[in-house]
Amino acid sequence: MEENKNLTAERSLEIIRESIERSQRAIEKNSGLPLVWWGVCVIVFSLLIEYLWKNHGGPAWNFLWFVMWVIGYIGNRVLDKKKETVPTTFVGKTIGHVWATFGIFCGGIGLVLCLIGCGILPAKCVVPDSHIYMNITSIITLCFGIASTITGFIIENRAIQVCGLVAGFGGFFAALQFPMQQMYVMAAVALIGLVIPGLLIHFQNKN
Amino acid sequence: MFKPLDPLLHSELRLAVMSLLISAETAEFPYIKEQTGATAGNLSVQLDKLAAAGYITVEKTFKGKRPCTLCHITPTGLKAFEEYVETLREYLKPGASG
Repeated sequence: MEENKNLTAERSLEIIRESIERSQRAIEKNSGLPLVWWGVCVIVFSLLIEYLWKNHGGPAWNFLWFVMWVIGYIGNRVLDKKKETVPTTFVGKTIGHVWATFGIFCGGIGLVLCLIGCGILPAKCVVPDSHIYMNITSIITLCFGIASTITGFIIENRAIQVCGLVAGFGGFFAALQFPMQQMYVMAAVALIGLVIPGLLIHFQNKN
Repeated sequence: MFKPLDPLLHSELRLAVMSLLISAETAEFPYIKEQTGATAGNLSVQLDKLAAAGYITVEKTFKGKRPCTLCHITPTGLKAFEEYVETLREYLKPGASG
């Protein structure tokens, strides 16, 4: 870009619009691969836990979710280092906070249920009535859908909004409807709510 | 009569830099260079002009062991940019003449 004393008002507005759009695209492009990475992690661990649970023991294999968080975090750090330099923006930080909140809530619920499963916490402190059935997959997939849909609204991406809604509602009801196939529901939710939107963002901005 | 446009912002490169910084809390020098397509030398000169006017701050720091130049827009820069856009709107109003 050259110094231009004869810049017209129209051209000035065009420069402003182009610069803001370019910046938005750069931020969006970098948010695609982490979504795919976390989605693949959830799918792999869901299917792995399902297999181990059915064939080699019981629900204790759910402890592998904590291993997934560690592997996911390490992979995310590697992706952070590899991705293009993008500015710190309010939008980027907000998306990060949305997913961090999702992680805190789901991780917290998972931890409490694990402590109950291990007998460290009494079950009564979470579910006072033994007739109440708590479906953690339903809760997590709903949170998943909410976080994904909010992300779609923040970056104004219709595909992510739709995927988030489908994953959230679909996952919530499917996990209640098919309690024996919860891990498959989780894998499907990760595919719809994370992998597909991530790939869409990545390839849309690559072209 | 139209209000004159801020001469510091009325330049393609400086305007592009300010537009990039407007939505960012901080942006690194390589990012601005890539987005504007400017040469490093020219960009440095223009960033210095914006910094001298108090529109941006340029912070030299390190990212790991690599040197890193960070640019932030200041409240003065933000106000100047808003006024610039407002003046542009006046210019573009239907039937406007200076």
